[in-house]
Amino acid sequence: MNTKITFFTQLQILTKRLLLRVARRPLAELPNIFISAFFLFVYDGALGGVFGGSAAGTPFDFANGNFVNFILPVSIVSASVSGGASGIYLVEDIESGVFKRYQSMPISKWAIILAPMLVGALRVLIQASLIMIIGKIIGADPAVGSIGFLMVLSIAFLWGMGFAGYSVAAGVRSGSSQGAQAASFLFFPALFLAPTFVPREALRGWLSTASAYNPTTYVIEAMRAIMVEGWINDVIFKGYLAAGTFAILTLTFAVVSARKATEKA
Amino acid sequence: MLAVEVKNIKKTFQSKQAIVEAVKDVSFEVKKGEIFGLLGPNGAGKSTTILMLTTLLQVTGGSAKILGYDVSSQDKLVRENIGVALQDTGIDNLLTARELFFTTARLWGYSKEDSNKRTEELLELVGLTEAADRRVKTYSGGMKRRLDLGLSLVHSPKVLFLDEPTTGLDPGSRRVLWDEIKRLREGGVTVILTTQYLEEADELADRIAIIDEGLVVAEGTSDELKASIGGDVITFAFDTESDQKLALKVLTEGVQEDNLIRITVEDGARKIPQYVNQLTENNIEVSSVSASKPTLDDVFLKVTGYRLEGAEAKDSEIEEVNN
Repeated sequence: MNTKITFFTQLQILTKRLLLRVARRPLAELPNIFISAFFLFVYDGALGGVFGGSAAGTPFDFANGNFVNFILPVSIVSASVSGGASGIYLVEDIESGVFKRYQSMPISKWAIILAPMLVGALRVLIQASLIMIIGKIIGADPAVGSIGFLMVLSIAFLWGMGFAGYSVAAGVRSGSSQGAQAASFLFFPALFLAPTFVPREALRGWLSTASAYNPTTYVIEAMRAIMVEGWINDVIFKGYLAAGTFAILTLTFAVVSARKATEKA
Repeated sequence: MLAVEVKNIKKTFQSKQAIVEAVKDVSFEVKKGEIFGLLGPNGAGKSTTILMLTTLLQVTGGSAKILGYDVSSQDKLVRENIGVALQDTGIDNLLTARELFFTTARLWGYSKEDSNKRTEELLELVGLTEAADRRVKTYSGGMKRRLDLGLSLVHSPKVLFLDEPTTGLDPGSRRVLWDEIKRLREGGVTVILTTQYLEEADELADRIAIIDEGLVVAEGTSDELKASIGGDVITFAFDTESDQKLALKVLTEGVQEDNLIRITVEDGARKIPQYVNQLTENNIEVSSVSASKPTLDDVFLKVTGYRLEGAEAKDSEIEEVNN
């Protein structure tokens, strides 16, 4: 006999189904998983020589000689682009009619939208974990201790979910996988209008102003505080706040978009 | 209580370019345990009507109730009591039928154990037990339709909406699906189906509403609709266009359709000789003449002014005379 199920059970079932889909196409996932790890090597190899060892003791030594600690958050944040694939999951469901089937059932719209966002955030989490492991191997050492790895991962999860929500909304609004992929263009201004390679104090003019309004700035700064500076609570709090607010806003945006998309259909 | 009660529903889509009235004014009632057919060509408003009744589109005007629940204000209660299989089969091609049934049963609130049990029952019902562990992308069109139907039955709905359930299927697969739909009616399920196939409406539906340009233009049982034509249909064919033109002047009550002329009269078979004599006296050569009971196609022609594309007259012919 069927009974009413809770929102969280619905979310769990829908997320599990999407994960099953992901598992059925493993080759589609591998490039995304390794690309950010690749960039960590490139950043460390190319810039570490300038800002790392050779800059030790100079004003350019942002991380007391450990450039991996400084650049690792950039790799983690850049991994959030993989959350941009989440929109495609939903667009595929819209195209196949699965989305309409779920809408014709007494299932929460929020659960239908949140499930692909969660899968996107899980992808980011897996990538971030891989980057962490590689970072640890090549010398990353959080200033707050080993718990710092978990804290950075939790921020990455929230940030990935926010990016996934944006991608889902873009996919639903455009109704096409191209629309969902186009969402990843947000990644470039988000990543580079921020203190990506140098601290915010070293940014000049318009870039300094732009970075103050970019939530990525606060996410990167929180991760850097954890990795380089230690327990600077207000900076860490701002990072969680920026990532969490971004996730809530994009989830709402995605649900509103889904309602409009249904009406268009 | 009626299973479905639709009163003057309307649906208007507004874009920057234009306002489109997809459904202008549709009303009908469906009793419990009936199969009700919405018959009409593409773009008539059938699917839009179904989307409104299944709460997937907001109603612009009028009202509709399913088992007494209003589709606008009690949408959740409506969704709990209906099953829906839309034109695009809502199926995840990467999963297997077993996984899809299990997931859907879990979403309807069945426990894991009951979901497994229900999965086996439904696989058996739609004849997919042997293919249960194959990914759906390897299924034929007919298998996908059966799976889609099965997925809409997971929670044993009281009212089932099927939007063009056999479109694109070969005749064999269509027949299998018809048998399954009839079995559902025997089990007490109310079925509302849309179709553009006259034969399907005739075979399945207890009552039919013909819908055209967003309006219900006729409603009744198949026999009632055919009786509304008021007699038999005599069809004349001619070898030349000039003969046909002359024949139209002689047979003043005739209606031209392509290279044929049709007359609707009582007791058609007996009146054939009378008409043939009239034509022969005017030196008009008739290549063939036949009388038949009216078909749904004839009803469609009468109420809409055109024939449903791809329709075939299948009703029993009374007599055919070849000259």
